[in-house]
Amino acid sequence: MITCAGCSCLCTDIVFRNGKIFNACRRGAGIFLNRDANRAKPMVDREEVKFDRAVEKAIEIISSSENLAIYGLDTVSLEAQKIAIEIAEKKRAYIDDNSSYCLGDFIRLILEKKVPTTTLDEVKNNAYVLFYWGTDPYHSLSRHLSRYTYYPRGGKRQRGYEEDRFLIVADVRKSHTAMLAKKNSRFIEVEDDVELVNAFIDTMDGKATKYSEVTARIIKEMKKGGFGVIFGGLGLRYGLKGNYDLFVEMINRMNEFSEVYFMPAGCHPNMRGFNELMFQKTGEINRYSFEYTESKPEFEFSKLLMNDTVDTAVIIGTDPLNSLPFEVARKLNQIDTVVIDPRASLTSKIAKVMIPSSISGVEQGGTMIRVDGVRIDINPLIENDFERTDEGILKTILEGI
Amino acid sequence: MPITPMEVYKLLPKTNCKKCGETTCMSFAFKLINREKTLEECTPLFEEQKYSKQFESLQKLLEPLKNATETGLIVDENLCVGCANCVVVCPVHASEDPHGTGYGLGPTIEDPILRIEDGVVKVINMMKCRRYGKNRVLCVACRENCPSDAIRFLEG
Repeated sequence: MITCAGCSCLCTDIVFRNGKIFNACRRGAGIFLNRDANRAKPMVDREEVKFDRAVEKAIEIISSSENLAIYGLDTVSLEAQKIAIEIAEKKRAYIDDNSSYCLGDFIRLILEKKVPTTTLDEVKNNAYVLFYWGTDPYHSLSRHLSRYTYYPRGGKRQRGYEEDRFLIVADVRKSHTAMLAKKNSRFIEVEDDVELVNAFIDTMDGKATKYSEVTARIIKEMKKGGFGVIFGGLGLRYGLKGNYDLFVEMINRMNEFSEVYFMPAGCHPNMRGFNELMFQKTGEINRYSFEYTESKPEFEFSKLLMNDTVDTAVIIGTDPLNSLPFEVARKLNQIDTVVIDPRASLTSKIAKVMIPSSISGVEQGGTMIRVDGVRIDINPLIENDFERTDEGILKTILEGI
Repeated sequence: MPITPMEVYKLLPKTNCKKCGETTCMSFAFKLINREKTLEECTPLFEEQKYSKQFESLQKLLEPLKNATETGLIVDENLCVGCANCVVVCPVHASEDPHGTGYGLGPTIEDPILRIEDGVVKVINMMKCRRYGKNRVLCVACRENCPSDAIRFLEG
């Protein structure tokens, strides 16, 4: 049994036999099957060099930088993240990950204990109402429904999805997940998420709203089932427009008559791990500066680039040139970049130093934190040399600077 | 798109000539879909020139029949994302493998009906399916829970 570190589901039941991958979804299987495709080579100034030379050059650049930013880290193990945070602390650098524009705000609500949360194993055994809000797990977390939530028969829920689960999908369009909402389920076509949150609060107050029919039914089902979970995705994160207090109020009101938990759905494999490490160390979860010892929206990686605050960026396991807006990504070309990534990406093409690392779950193990806060030991397909793993590379850099 | 007997009937000669051994063209259409008859048994379609266009359309229409399993299941691997909804939801799996597929994990039995291989669903052992054999039940649990239509049945 090996672990797939493709998304935040972190499936531990993947089997590799006779060159075939069993049980992994298409996305996960792709990571294992194409493990040799498009691999990165150690490079300095876009010329191929020996691995040790690339690491030496990286140490040189990082040592001489005055305003360093470390970015990425969501696909590497907790051990590697810990060392990266140490490097940031030693260099008094900025550190940020994808959670600043992904689901970081939801993780913050959970870590600050503002909303009640639970684990996916509890959901499998007890949950009745499953509410997917602003997310399409059929594509983003393919095995979420079949492995953890809607379909499995477990614990108190032995009669299958048609009788023992109540599925609600709220989205702006009829997504593939919404097509699964057939019998004993509801699909809500949302125009405004804040309006829907208000509709729930109004229904609990006994007032009529535009969504009355559906919200009243959901609240009735929550009372009946006694265990409900709301999975919030990026649609909800941006749809709330920062009105988190209202959302927290809604969940707390629901908890007066039933158990309703909240869980983010859809993020990078170890994003929560990074957020938890930062939270333990600093009390903040992301966009942190060890120079000013505080977290600010201006310390978000894209803002740092836009404002020309940093002169060097260490990018670990992500491809900002591909994912960030072009205006922002263009600035990456003007500063020194050290990229640590197993595969050649667009960012690696403009990098000053490219250090090839290992793929989590394929060549390197470690620990990761699943989206519900459970620690998962990554069981890789093969073990690479320690020096070639993210943890090893970052350790050498930490010792060198 | 499912293949219905009516669609097939529309393209047949509709003369009820009984050359295939059936009383009507409609009953021939039914048996064609159930794969008890083959298109070659309708001799006028080949022999008479005026049916040549209909014959071509029929061949196109019945193309998926060749890939279908004994239970009429057609899997389109290009559409599958490997979510394993079909594997977990299958009532046969749930009763035979309650701690594996029934619990949401990968199958622990050697010969499941469906299995996710290399990220897409593969048919392994059709004999276990409730739709197989004479006393079949027209179960559609796997198709019902496949929103991308990677799993289809001949009848729709």
